[in-house]
Amino acid sequence: MPQLFNAATNSYAKISLMAFASLPVLAILVGMTLSRNSPNTRQNIPLDQPVPFSHRHHTIELGIDCRFCHTSVETAADAGMPSTETCMTCHSNIWTNSPLLEPVRKSYAENKPIVWTQLNKVPEFVYFNHSVHVNKGISCNQCHGAIQDMQIAYKSRNLFMSWCLECHREPEKYMYADPANKELSPREQVFNLYVKYQKDASRHSLSGMEMNLIKGAEQHALSTQEGRDLVKARGIKKEQLMDCYICHR
Amino acid sequence: MGTRGELNLSEVREKLAGKSGRAYWRSLEEVAETPEFQAWVDDEFPNRASLMNVDRRSLLKYMGASMMLAGLAGCRSMRLPSAQLVPYVNRPEEMVTGEKLYFATGYTLQGITEGIIVESNYGRPTKVEGNPKHPTTGGASSAFMQASVLDLYDPDRSKSPTKDGITNDWTTFLSDARKIVSDLKKKGGEGLAVLLPTVGSPSLIAELERFRKEFPRASIASWEPSARDKAYLGTVIAFGKPLETVYHLSKAKAILAIDSDFLASGPGFLKNARDWAASRNVDGDPESMSRLYAIEPTPSATGALADHRFPAEAEMVDQFVQALAARLGVPVSNASVGGDLSVWLEAVAQDLEKNSGHAVVIGGEYLSAEAQALCHLINLKLGAEGSLVTHHSAVAWMAGKQEDSLRAFAGAFANGDTEFLLVLGGNPAFNAPADLKFGELIKQAKVSAHLSPMLDETGRVCTWHLPESHSLESWGDGRGLDGTATIIQPLIDPLFDTKSVLELMLALFGNADSAQDIIKARWAGQGLDDQGWRAALQDGIIPNTKAAAAGLSAMPPAPIKAITGTGELEVLLRLDPTIFDGRFANNGWLQELPKPLTTLTWDNTVQLSPKHAEKLGVVSGDLVEVATASGKVTGGAWVLPGQAENSVTVHLGYGRDMNDTLIAAGTGFNAYQLWDGASAVKGSVTKVGGKVALASTQMHHYLEGRDIVREMELDALLHPHEGEHHEGHHRDISMYPDPEKEFPFEGPKWGMTIDLNVCTGCHACVTACQAENNIAVVGKDQVLKGREMHWIRIDRYYGSKDLGEMSGKKKPTRADLDNPTTHLMPVTCMHCEAAPCEPVCPVAATVHSKEGLNQMVYNRCVGTRYCSNNCPYKVRRFNFLNYNDRKFSDFKIDGKNSSRDLRVRLMVNNPEVTVRGRGVMEKCTYCVQRINAARITAKNAFAKGQREKPEPMDGEVITACQQACPTGAITFGNLADESSKLARLKKMPRNYSLLEELNTHNRTTYLTKLRNPNKEIG
Repeated sequence: MPQLFNAATNSYAKISLMAFASLPVLAILVGMTLSRNSPNTRQNIPLDQPVPFSHRHHTIELGIDCRFCHTSVETAADAGMPSTETCMTCHSNIWTNSPLLEPVRKSYAENKPIVWTQLNKVPEFVYFNHSVHVNKGISCNQCHGAIQDMQIAYKSRNLFMSWCLECHREPEKYMYADPANKELSPREQVFNLYVKYQKDASRHSLSGMEMNLIKGAEQHALSTQEGRDLVKARGIKKEQLMDCYICHR
Repeated sequence: MGTRGELNLSEVREKLAGKSGRAYWRSLEEVAETPEFQAWVDDEFPNRASLMNVDRRSLLKYMGASMMLAGLAGCRSMRLPSAQLVPYVNRPEEMVTGEKLYFATGYTLQGITEGIIVESNYGRPTKVEGNPKHPTTGGASSAFMQASVLDLYDPDRSKSPTKDGITNDWTTFLSDARKIVSDLKKKGGEGLAVLLPTVGSPSLIAELERFRKEFPRASIASWEPSARDKAYLGTVIAFGKPLETVYHLSKAKAILAIDSDFLASGPGFLKNARDWAASRNVDGDPESMSRLYAIEPTPSATGALADHRFPAEAEMVDQFVQALAARLGVPVSNASVGGDLSVWLEAVAQDLEKNSGHAVVIGGEYLSAEAQALCHLINLKLGAEGSLVTHHSAVAWMAGKQEDSLRAFAGAFANGDTEFLLVLGGNPAFNAPADLKFGELIKQAKVSAHLSPMLDETGRVCTWHLPESHSLESWGDGRGLDGTATIIQPLIDPLFDTKSVLELMLALFGNADSAQDIIKARWAGQGLDDQGWRAALQDGIIPNTKAAAAGLSAMPPAPIKAITGTGELEVLLRLDPTIFDGRFANNGWLQELPKPLTTLTWDNTVQLSPKHAEKLGVVSGDLVEVATASGKVTGGAWVLPGQAENSVTVHLGYGRDMNDTLIAAGTGFNAYQLWDGASAVKGSVTKVGGKVALASTQMHHYLEGRDIVREMELDALLHPHEGEHHEGHHRDISMYPDPEKEFPFEGPKWGMTIDLNVCTGCHACVTACQAENNIAVVGKDQVLKGREMHWIRIDRYYGSKDLGEMSGKKKPTRADLDNPTTHLMPVTCMHCEAAPCEPVCPVAATVHSKEGLNQMVYNRCVGTRYCSNNCPYKVRRFNFLNYNDRKFSDFKIDGKNSSRDLRVRLMVNNPEVTVRGRGVMEKCTYCVQRINAARITAKNAFAKGQREKPEPMDGEVITACQQACPTGAITFGNLADESSKLARLKKMPRNYSLLEELNTHNRTTYLTKLRNPNKEIG
């Protein structure tokens, strides 16, 4: 009687056994990878919104300042979502018949708020404060990516703790100051960048470093010494930024 | 050790008389070293051994299940939830999401309104602070004020009117009621009866006076158990008219408190405590430190702070007042006291006379009107009137006649036909004097209605139950003790379908104006224009409303009447220190607040003197029966050192018949059954056998009798001897790395001092901390297991009058069981620089911050409790259960199940602080949310070039406990800032660190208590 199984069968058996044994490990790895990437974090995925609001159109094409809508970004923990009334300051006069703006007009007429889908959310035990970041000269783009160029806004960073810590460990790598306008306060540096970017159609007045920053690169090429000087001048206590109580309490 | 582990009082007495042993002790069990006490010493949570009685098989089962569930829990956090953003349609100008708003309003108790500032988060009132602009609160607050926000979110509040127990609505009630009222109006109001609690609101008083004119034959009364009749009658006897008495103690040199707890309870105590603390201040001129004498039948915080305290029965206190008055030249006849008391009296009288002009006598509000009148007359003789004491016109409506009005009301009620009875607040069916049988009386009315926050004993016997608005939901006004007026403004629309007293009065008897319009119009009539109105709302006080000091002429004193009733003991019936007359019985923060001197929670007791307890053969927890002429009740005994031998204290307010409620159900016994309106009656106490479990915290978190409390005499401070102060600290013998090297940091070093010299143990800090930091209420069953969650606790120690050679190294001698000295000591996380909790945590969930805070990271904590085990100060608290998410039934030991919606309760939480779940350790954070807020403000200002350093300045960070403290005993600040108040206090010789020998380098330190004894008294 010939051999029922040929010699190769041993290998198949071994491989299947190994595959079976590694299945739970693989499943965990797949789960971990999925949970850390866009399918779960929604990073880089534009989400449905009641109104297809374009940041690019309003900021770059029309030249409206971030702070026109996000009023409390320099003074409070919350940047502030614009009320319907803010939209209607302009849209009661222009695009008054646009079907895209129907939800805004309806909200204003019925006194019912527009319900937006939140893109960037930190866990409940994290107490993030916009004002202190802006006042220390951290550009909007550091966390929100190239928000001024987005047609429909999306989340640009995964907002993991490890991502926060990259900057809290080495803030000097994320500092920015316009070499031509050094006298501006850190907060003014942040918004001046957008003015420069918006005014200059050819974008030639922006340095490579500034282009990097505004296009949403996580780090940008500022020399380490310049960065350290800025950290010191802005009163950032680097050693303290890693304290748990800075963000959690 | 006592037989079979029972506490034996005579043995305690012997041990205390003995020469050896500890100087300070917390409980009788500690002195007797009972097994129960030993269990608390051996283990922080003695009960947990029972958890370990699991067989191997079950243990493996549980372990397997836990591991599986732990894996599942991991899955939950993998999935990121989606969220929505809902901005305003029209954003109110001042509203920034996530930013707090503050509103000035008023808090009313006993008809007296004091100014408060309420914090609002996203439109929810969450925290109460005192209004610094208000003359009596001065920025401080009481535990009652702090806890008032919790009442707003009580899940037991009624949501709509009910008729005969069936849900109904306001429209039906108002149309029914208006019909009856218009019928009765034709007869001048005959058959109409209105009963209110104490009223102090000028606008409501005006409405009531108008009502009296319109319905001249209607019967009306204003009464509650806390009505201050005797205080008002005292001034009527002394000066001929009802007046408020305000003390100004900051310049006082000698103060005698006669059965008065002026430092920790009663209207105006915040001002009293602040002024008294100023008079005890030894920073400037130590010689000017005041001296405090107290004579009282039952221990109080004031007695605990007194330099000389004399325990005397209420009867003897009456004798003492008359004798003192005679000694100081007030014309009273037949006045003498004998024995020790006469020596004491002479010494006190001499001291008062010596300090004439700076000496004052404070008569407590439980004293008879005649005795209080004598105190006023003594003050006239001492020259205190006009400087240390001022009198202002009475705030309350029917001042001094409130009990008379109730008795007349009840009499008229019993005689005539009452068509319509309106009870506008209060709870007379539960707490009216027992002889009136008010609950039965109400049933005689054809139609009755009761306005109350929840369906209670009175609401159940009335036809209609009408839900009442909280004062944070309604407009009102009121006056402080000195007449200063405050507008009470709402912070939130009524959560449920409720009305305030004023709104209901207007709806039934007034025109259709809103309460706001009525109040605004009334004050406009007093010259408050529109701008003034807005300023008054912003400041919380109406300017120039303080009443002028009344011109006085002394009247002849009246003799003090003897205490009525029969029995070998006198029974003192007093308002409860935490739940007051019972109105706060459903407030978890107040129920779980340890009562200042007994450290009891969730219960009232029959407080006996050690001598009498010995005679009866009872110890704390034994059931005893108290009988007076009005009735008898059975309750747990409590042996209270310092209680006068033949007096028994029972607190009113417990024993509510409220089985459907979350908190009040099944707590304590109803002492109102003993009460005929008098604060002291004769009665008897007998042992009935059986025991009751009393949740007292005095044995929890025990520090093993080390050198904890320190006190010294003023003389020793003024004339220090060699070796006076505790020796300098040797840092080099620490087993830990040098914290200075470990945490090099250029920035603030936060620290705290607690001044034991002025802490009155009022517990405002405990409630303030609970409100600020979302601290859970755990329930009586959990307190019995030592699981209370308060981040700051106030330990109470007993000690001896005789400090011995405190100047040398000898320890004080042991305490006298019958009249020990009492010490109150707030203990919270010490924020050790070399914290023993940190190295033992396996997951680094507790680590140090650069600014010196011992951080607790909830999301890292896995609940090993090693840190708590290793903490020498026992300040860490563990969430054994999901306290913040407990079901209704969990609060009771043998309660019934209910699916009550508790979500409304969550609205009280401070959004700046994480709400902790099960299995997580927590402790004092130095209010890190406030530090962070101040730091961010400072950093933003620095970035704009508005300040020199990117860090908060001295006084910009105020912790919740510090802000609430009426005496300023708690100071928080930056040690690195040499010019800060804290740095100055830390350099004082009185500064000491708890368990200094452990080398933990505590950031929180204490200032030694000072005593200023009179050498004339042995």
